[in-house]
Amino acid sequence: MTELEAGRARTLLPVRGGAMLLRYRDVMIALIAFAVLASLPLFTGSKALLDFVIRCSAYGLFATSLNLLVGYTGLTSFGHGMFFGLGAYSFGLIMQKLSVPIPVAFVATLAITAVIAAGIGAICVRLKEIYFAFVTLAFQMLIHSTILSWASFTGGDQGLRGGIPRPAFFGVDLANHVHLYIASCALLVLGLLAMRQIAQSPFGYTLRMIRDNAARASFLGIDVWRAKLTVFVLAALFASMGGMVMALFVSGAYPEFAYWTISGEGIFINMLGGVSTFLGPMVGTVLLLLLNDTVTRFTEYHGIVLGVVILFFALGLRKGLLDFVADWFSHRRDAGEGR
Amino acid sequence: MTRTRTPGISRRSTLALMGAGAMSVATPWVARAQAKTIKIGMPTILSGRVAQLGTSSRNAVMLEVDKVNAAGGLAGRPIEMVIRDSKGQPQEAARVARELVNTDGCEWLIDGEASSGSFAVHEVARDLGVLCVHTNSEASSLTADPKQHIPNAFRCVRQGIHDSIVGGSYAAAIAKAKGLKKWATCSPDYAYGRDTTGEFTLYLKRFAPDIEIISESWPKLFQPDYTEVVTKILQAKPQALYSCLWGGDLTSYIDQANIYAMFGQMEVFAVNMADYTALTVVKNLPKGIHSGNRYIKTYPATPENAAWGDAYKAKYNEYPTNWSWQNATAVMFLAEAAKKANSTDGKKIAEALAGLTIKCPFGADGTVTMRGDDHTLVGYAIGWGTTIPQEPYVPEVKAGDWKTIFELEAEWKKSKGYT
Repeated sequence: MTELEAGRARTLLPVRGGAMLLRYRDVMIALIAFAVLASLPLFTGSKALLDFVIRCSAYGLFATSLNLLVGYTGLTSFGHGMFFGLGAYSFGLIMQKLSVPIPVAFVATLAITAVIAAGIGAICVRLKEIYFAFVTLAFQMLIHSTILSWASFTGGDQGLRGGIPRPAFFGVDLANHVHLYIASCALLVLGLLAMRQIAQSPFGYTLRMIRDNAARASFLGIDVWRAKLTVFVLAALFASMGGMVMALFVSGAYPEFAYWTISGEGIFINMLGGVSTFLGPMVGTVLLLLLNDTVTRFTEYHGIVLGVVILFFALGLRKGLLDFVADWFSHRRDAGEGR
Repeated sequence: MTRTRTPGISRRSTLALMGAGAMSVATPWVARAQAKTIKIGMPTILSGRVAQLGTSSRNAVMLEVDKVNAAGGLAGRPIEMVIRDSKGQPQEAARVARELVNTDGCEWLIDGEASSGSFAVHEVARDLGVLCVHTNSEASSLTADPKQHIPNAFRCVRQGIHDSIVGGSYAAAIAKAKGLKKWATCSPDYAYGRDTTGEFTLYLKRFAPDIEIISESWPKLFQPDYTEVVTKILQAKPQALYSCLWGGDLTSYIDQANIYAMFGQMEVFAVNMADYTALTVVKNLPKGIHSGNRYIKTYPATPENAAWGDAYKAKYNEYPTNWSWQNATAVMFLAEAAKKANSTDGKKIAEALAGLTIKCPFGADGTVTMRGDDHTLVGYAIGWGTTIPQEPYVPEVKAGDWKTIFELEAEWKKSKGYT
């Protein structure tokens, strides 16, 4: 959003109903979204639909976290999938080897991801554009190769076998499909809400400024390197959460989770959904999974179909779906107001 | 800094859009009523590098299913196969397997996944309790490891450990006869390559203790250029070479090694050579490469096997692969189990399958058995022979001895802590 648009936004959206309501609007929407998702099993017995939402949670968290880097900070990471894989493997290994309660493994996985992301980020965020993209890709391949070669610990190319144990905690039994579904929805909604808060905070606007003009941000006294590193680590944490949801869904972790194709899918999702709206990647996730699931039902030539779709978005719309819709709405409003 | 809100699409509209999306997702997923036909779901790899093998699995399954249906189906119910591509990704394999059972109403699964995908489908079978026959994963741990064992899953596939025992004893006999003491290995750098090579050399040394491995090469999976590997081996001057490269990797390796006339300088043992996907693709197939039998229609040398290979070729205009016979055998097992149980209930079929012996064109003695204690295929034709450049490619195959295999397999299981 440019400064001009920002100014218009203030005139267009006068504070109605007080600041309190506005402040908690995101929280309210999150609560409603969670209530709607959580009540789905009451209306439908379709396990496939629940599976679909669980996978949307995993990929949605991953893709939205990637958008924190791509859309908000202008850091196009080609290696974001490494944190997806890292989350899945750390969580799976902790549960298999240490048999601790799930919340402990969850927090421990986030801690491990944060440490590794800080290390990798410290090296990567010094670089710009294509150099940043390729160094992140290099680190991803490093992690992928480590998983493959450290077979005694990670199971090598056959992945973590034997299933991930899921002892019940606080009355939540993740071996139960509906419990797993609700837990995934909760993680998705909480994750999105947290990322929304990050994006809308002063820190989030600092990121936009860095994206638009890093030199100016630097002159204004912002430590660009530190801000980039912070968002790199934060994004890694949410990607790792996505990885954990996926590990729970397939009851295992496989080297493919840390392969570059996962990062590619993340970029693809962002292109489909759009990077200039917060929910763009979420829309992209739903679109991609929907396309994948329907197309693979009918043909093994899904590559052609997905290719045509991405061409349509790249050459036809020239932006993601939600970006396109958002533009269309604002054009219509502008026309309506006679501007 | 002023905090601002974007003037774009409102969240309400976005949620409405998402809701509409969810509805459209839900509509095709309304569960269908169970029909008289029995649906069997099959995730396998139909795109990417090993698509040829996945397709050959599908072909073999359909060949057998047509026969079963022509004979009246399973306990009176015709089979309807639902076969989908998993792209070789484990998370897709898991998703597709769940979808096949939960949405498409498949009552059983034939798991045509290799490697990690098969473990992902195994977890789905564990979770949903659905009858599942693995048909392409050769990883021994899938059935040997008691942690993996579930009552509703079976494996109808040749196994790495069986191949290594037979290969080791065959190679040791030749090593003794020809005095081959210095050996080199060249295998793809991933779990299958490392494990199979390790097991092969273990048994080679067991049968011929004075053998020495003087050079090891681990080219990457799907590596295009083997010059470096070939020259390294030639410099080491071994008397014999073992390789478990397969498919396109093996054929490019042979084509490139031919330039250096490698095959005249040492005895070569390539376990995966005797498979039509490799035999028919190599430009100049050298004479005298030792290979295990993957699938060739001349071994076992029975009219049944030859007829099956010809029927497949007649229908699909190509020869079957190793994956083909395994998948065909799986359907034969399921048909026989349904006859024995006179039912299509997954639990009853599982009970009938455990320990079941059936007549089969791919059996060492005309039969194969689904071993009861670890739910894995035994008694299949397994042997080694040497290649010639034209059909029948491997004219004589020396059969492996199943008694020795069982003894050494039991020992191996103990050493791994599986029993």
